[in-house]
Amino acid sequence: MNKVISKRLTFVVTILSLLIFIIFWQIIAQQGLLVKNFPGSYKTINALIWWVSDPFFDNGPNDLGIGFNLLISLRRVLIGYSLAVLVAIPLGVLMGMSKLAQSSLNPYVQLLKPVSPLAWLPVGLFVFRNSEITGIFVIFITSIWPTLINTAFGVASINPDYLRVSKSLGASKSITIRRVILPAIMPNILAGMRISMGTAWLVIVAAEMLLGTGIGYFIWNEWNNLSLENIFVAIIIIGFTGFILDQFFGFLQDKFDYSI
Amino acid sequence: MQKNSNPKKNSTHLELLKLGKIFFKEKKFFDFYSKHKKSSFEAIKNINLKIEKNTFVSIIGPSGCGKSTLLNLIAGLQAPTSGKIIIDGLAIKGPGPDRGVIFQNYALMPWLTTIQNIEFALNTVFPEKTKPDIKERAINYLRMVGLEKASNKFPKELSGGMKQRVAIARALSINPNMLLMDEPFGALDALTRSYLQEELLSIWRKNKVTVVLITHSIEEALLLSDKIILMSSGPSATISEEISVDLERPRDRQNIEQDPKYLKIKMRLEKHLLRETRAVEEVT
Ligand SMILES: Nc1ncnc2c1ncn2[C@@H]1O[C@H](COP(=O)(O)OP(=O)(O)O)[C@@H](O)[C@H]1O
Ligand SMILES: [Mg+2]
Repeated sequence: MNKVISKRLTFVVTILSLLIFIIFWQIIAQQGLLVKNFPGSYKTINALIWWVSDPFFDNGPNDLGIGFNLLISLRRVLIGYSLAVLVAIPLGVLMGMSKLAQSSLNPYVQLLKPVSPLAWLPVGLFVFRNSEITGIFVIFITSIWPTLINTAFGVASINPDYLRVSKSLGASKSITIRRVILPAIMPNILAGMRISMGTAWLVIVAAEMLLGTGIGYFIWNEWNNLSLENIFVAIIIIGFTGFILDQFFGFLQDKFDYSI
Repeated sequence: MQKNSNPKKNSTHLELLKLGKIFFKEKKFFDFYSKHKKSSFEAIKNINLKIEKNTFVSIIGPSGCGKSTLLNLIAGLQAPTSGKIIIDGLAIKGPGPDRGVIFQNYALMPWLTTIQNIEFALNTVFPEKTKPDIKERAINYLRMVGLEKASNKFPKELSGGMKQRVAIARALSINPNMLLMDEPFGALDALTRSYLQEELLSIWRKNKVTVVLITHSIEEALLLSDKIILMSSGPSATISEEISVDLERPRDRQNIEQDPKYLKIKMRLEKHLLRETRAVEEVT
């Protein structure tokens, strides 16, 4: 009974706070309290409805429906991210299992991890001479570190009991990796993949401002049009998409939560 | 059942010859300059022991003396630094399905159901067997420990006692002729513990296995074993005494305390443990 009420209450509070925010936004904009011509919530919501009601139109690269732009960004992220995960998991397992691999690869990981992936953009453009592949390349570099580090950490800190069981049964290395180590570190892998996806989604927006097409380019383009309300529309859509992606990984993490 | 075809008792099953284990510390970069030369730790030293087929042997000793180390060596999970482990006349080179190991913390894989945990062991040891064969065998062993109804449950849904029964079923499913148990009931409440002790005894009677049980409970050792091995305190722990427990079976856990023979051995064990534990406490 109590729980039902509190659930309903949180819902009401959420809606209420949203309403208050929208009203204040409108007042502040209308009175010009911030800067002149700052778009209010009324104008922004109208723009949002306009963009969302017809997301797939194509009048050339500078006048593309927001749905198309979103799909372009998602496609780049998905390809770069998937390639990164395919590299990061085996490499992470290797680093976690072998001291030699750990000590020979770790310096590169530690050196490259703190570098903003955007620094790789000119490198990509120079090598690939293609903005599409460069975008994917930047997302690849972005996504690789968290998954790699989490995987390696998972292997290094695996419960030794599982390995002892496997060893006492005389299991081969390949069986131990496939049937013991990989399932045991699934929570670590998913945690890494979740962080990788979050960062990739942050970086794609910035990268696309320099690449043309995609939701990031949409923002850049609307800046050139001085249409702030359309930028707010993009921010809302980027935030919502990022939220859905993150929730998906949250769902997977719950599925693979072995703890009591 | 090939092991029943040769019911010759009193033949040696396991023999330990001058067994020793030293743990070498990894040399770190800065250790090179450090004055402390103590870079290794001798856990056990010069262990000599003979265990007959189908006997129930308990190993008891102060904590930290090297009981788990000894069991890991017999299981083949670690290599000895010196000496030999001979099973059925042959020196072992590593782990093997002739030995079933049961760990204190059950060591069930949490991503597998109870039946899948047993199937994992069976698939690993008998890769030539078909899926239905494996499944049937796994169910049989779950039934043996009274858990066939829990076959599709995950370990986290089971109590500690149930988990340890699954671990016992898993260890037995590969048809070993030796069971190695490292304080298997240490984490269980008293009632569950005595229930599982009885279950272990009946499994031991039916399956004709040699059991090596590590325990810190004198009562448990007395109730279950044919022979009790006493270990001295570490470092460089060794066997200080072997005691034969010639109490009649089945042993009645309610009335055994009145048996003067029982009390005599118990006192001897208590004295030994007290002395060795004092040695540990006074060193540290
Ligand atoms: N892998 C290891 N490396 C270094 N020292 C170890 C290792 N395993 C055990 N030891 C040491 O060996 C001694 C015996 O340990 P253990 O066999 O676990 O004792 P017990 O099971 O009797 O409590 C302890 O002092 C422990 O610290
Ligand atoms: Mg121990």
